Amino acid sequence: MINAVEVKNITKRFPGVTANDRINLEIKRGEIHAIVGENGAGKSTLMKILSGLYQPDEGEIYIFGKKAVISSPVKAIEMKIGMVHQHFMLIPRFTVLENIILGSEIRAGISIDNKKAKKIVEDLCSMYNFSINLDSRVENISIGQAQRVEILKVLFRGADILVLDEPTAVLAPQEVKELFLNLRRLKQEGKTIVFISHKLDEVLDIADRITVLRRGRVVGSAVPGEITKEQLARMMVGKPVLIDLKKRETDPGEVLLSVKNLRVKDPGGKSVLNGISFEVKGGEIFGIAGIEGNGQKELAEAIIGLVNIDSGSIKIRNIDIKGLSVNQIRKMKVAYIPEDRHKNGLVLPMKVWENEIMGFQRDDKFYKKPLLKLKSAQDFTRSKIREYSISVSSINQAVEDLSGGNQQKVILARELSENPDVIIASQPTRGLDIGATEFVHEQLLKKRDEGKAILLISADLEEVLALSDRVGVMYNGSIIAEFKPGEITLEDVGIYMLGGPEKKVSGE
Amino acid sequence: MNNRFKIILLRLLSPIFAIFLAALISSLVIVFIHQNPLKVFVTMFSFSFRRIDSIAIILYNATPLIFSGLAVSVGFRMNLFNIGVEGQYLMGAFLAALVGFSIKGLPAFIHLPLTILSAIVAGALWSFLPIYLKVKKGVHEVISTIMLNYISFSVIHYFIADLLMDKSQKMLNGLGSPLVRMPKLMPTALMPRMREFLNMFGFNIPKHVYLNWFFPLGILLAIGIYYMLMRTPFGFELRAVGHNPDAARTSGIKPEKVYFMGFILSGAIAGLVGLSDLLGYFGYMDLDFPRNYGFNGIAVALMGQNSPIGIILSAILFGFLNRGAEGVQTFLNVPMDTVIILQALMIISIVIITKVMNDYIKRMEKREVSKNASGRTAGVQL
Repeated sequence: MINAVEVKNITKRFPGVTANDRINLEIKRGEIHAIVGENGAGKSTLMKILSGLYQPDEGEIYIFGKKAVISSPVKAIEMKIGMVHQHFMLIPRFTVLENIILGSEIRAGISIDNKKAKKIVEDLCSMYNFSINLDSRVENISIGQAQRVEILKVLFRGADILVLDEPTAVLAPQEVKELFLNLRRLKQEGKTIVFISHKLDEVLDIADRITVLRRGRVVGSAVPGEITKEQLARMMVGKPVLIDLKKRETDPGEVLLSVKNLRVKDPGGKSVLNGISFEVKGGEIFGIAGIEGNGQKELAEAIIGLVNIDSGSIKIRNIDIKGLSVNQIRKMKVAYIPEDRHKNGLVLPMKVWENEIMGFQRDDKFYKKPLLKLKSAQDFTRSKIREYSISVSSINQAVEDLSGGNQQKVILARELSENPDVIIASQPTRGLDIGATEFVHEQLLKKRDEGKAILLISADLEEVLALSDRVGVMYNGSIIAEFKPGEITLEDVGIYMLGGPEKKVSGE
Repeated sequence: MNNRFKIILLRLLSPIFAIFLAALISSLVIVFIHQNPLKVFVTMFSFSFRRIDSIAIILYNATPLIFSGLAVSVGFRMNLFNIGVEGQYLMGAFLAALVGFSIKGLPAFIHLPLTILSAIVAGALWSFLPIYLKVKKGVHEVISTIMLNYISFSVIHYFIADLLMDKSQKMLNGLGSPLVRMPKLMPTALMPRMREFLNMFGFNIPKHVYLNWFFPLGILLAIGIYYMLMRTPFGFELRAVGHNPDAARTSGIKPEKVYFMGFILSGAIAGLVGLSDLLGYFGYMDLDFPRNYGFNGIAVALMGQNSPIGIILSAILFGFLNRGAEGVQTFLNVPMDTVIILQALMIISIVIITKVMNDYIKRMEKREVSKNASGRTAGVQL
């Protein structure tokens, strides 16, 4: 049997790093082949080479036994390779059908032959058991459905090899199950699937074979059933990882953060938080689980003062913060690790030390009228770099030149430097590799043990369950369930994430 | 560290490189009108630099552009486009002229600063409305400042030609017609020239050179702005808001407040643009008061890449182009329009080259950084 994809000695270098170092890979026709590795292991580079976005510096690629030069994404799809990106590339105002055919419309004269296109897409749906309404607008469908649209897009273009980049990152457990059903069905019909992930449970569940990358090299391959999760993790990171975090028992102290009946509307007047109430005590991590876009962002931003409260109250150490500015709230010893560090956490073109004092530039520590105390600011940054082992070549480097993990450390060092009582951590480990993730977890647990109140908002369910003392599940602007980790199964959390047991799971 | 040296070298070379390319493209135009490019450039340079008075004239030409470049750059630093410098400086010059002629009997050391201050106030006031509308209502500053430019032209026209026109001008035997201008400023409001000062150092500056103390004031202001941007919390906030208002807001800075104060500052600087001409040359304000300094300031700020030093240098380059143009026009009979085309070509190619070179340098720096970083992580291990 010929291989669907064969990669021989692929090397791709970037300034300062070898992203892919003599990679060899065989993907058989009709198999689900998982590629796992930490962030920065070279998975994405390899996939970008396969989908024509990058050209390899050395090495050869064979597609269905034929030597191929994939010079562009268009060329890739001509060779029947379809890429399903992690971040959906859909137009919200267009319908599902319009999104699927966009770019390869079937024409009738000068107009688009929608009827014919619809027929083809409907056939695809029934062949692969995809349930989706082709006429609904993409802005109204769920994330799981949006992903199906992405898959249909590449199928419509005739792809036989589907490359899925971290497809489960944005999905709830139930949606993951559905995706896996779809993928198995695709496999039955003879499609080849390349599945990129760093979630080991899922990989062991779905893959026929697994290839592990580390630091740009293939460090091994495995077949599920012959390898345990721990072994796989060790292969991936090169050292044993603590999947279970050791948490000390603490006695929660007084309530430091209390939210009561909080209601917030978005600028368009749509209600995004519908009466949320919870309390976080000192020495406690309160986790918020839930699929993104259910009001978590607004909750965090309301507490730090970035969005206006419609009704209800937020109290820090029993002081109502209504009407206070971000600066005033921060001065009440509230720290905020924003979910989007490039948008909200850092000013990328500015220097490392400038980012390190951002928000404190008028504190006596760094300011003596009329000038900034450059030396104190730089000494402060140097000490933080040591304390958090941030890897920089100079404190005058622009922060945009740092890796994601180091950027997050810059934020963490800044936010935790004033010894805050309340810490709002929004997706604090998103996009970080295992080493950096561990570091962030350790810091949060350390603050918890020091008696601080931590609100942890994360789409990563495992993270929330591992770190939190109590967990609330947010759905549609409300907390619809609250429990302690261990009281409830992962499946049940998943059901709440999709709106609770009374509501039928859509899409089945 | 060979690479680091190369980066510094490139940084220094890039403007020179740009000027050469500009000359090259301009040559095509010159050939097109049947002139010898080499001759044109030689004339430009020799006319400009052979005599000390010519150099002083270049600096005089550069003076208003330093102020307007700085005014525009303060806006650019916040990612705001102050197109309104044009109107702001006309209003500044107008109020200064008003204060300069109407208040009498003050000693110069009070009257002159008061006149300058009134120009600052007028520029600041004229920038208030656009930034107020921007911050409160989200009106784009480009639209509102352009409109205010038109309004300022007309308002000034009305005041000069109507309300405040100097009716006391004496006509010789009742012949001819009076100038459409406001009354002359009191001598106490005028800015002294630098001639005598420079003569003390042996530079022989003739009488027809109007280089005045606004030039060193402009340089001082540029240094002041540099310190404000790089060393004060306000400058820090201004740059942060300019690069990323969301992150600035999240850190507790109020972008609206920064926009407001920064824009008023930009307007205040803009108020000074016309003063070198008003207080150092004309001594009165008329309908033909120099225009376009505000718009040229945009080009100056772009070319100087918003850095105060860069702005001084590019203002001087503009001053040279103007001076050289006069020479080419006089000696080679090259029409004025060609000279304007040459200037525009120079500006465009300089802007393009600096952009290209900067991107290249940036890439080299990144490479340098990642090389260093990877060398480091090997030892430190996260």
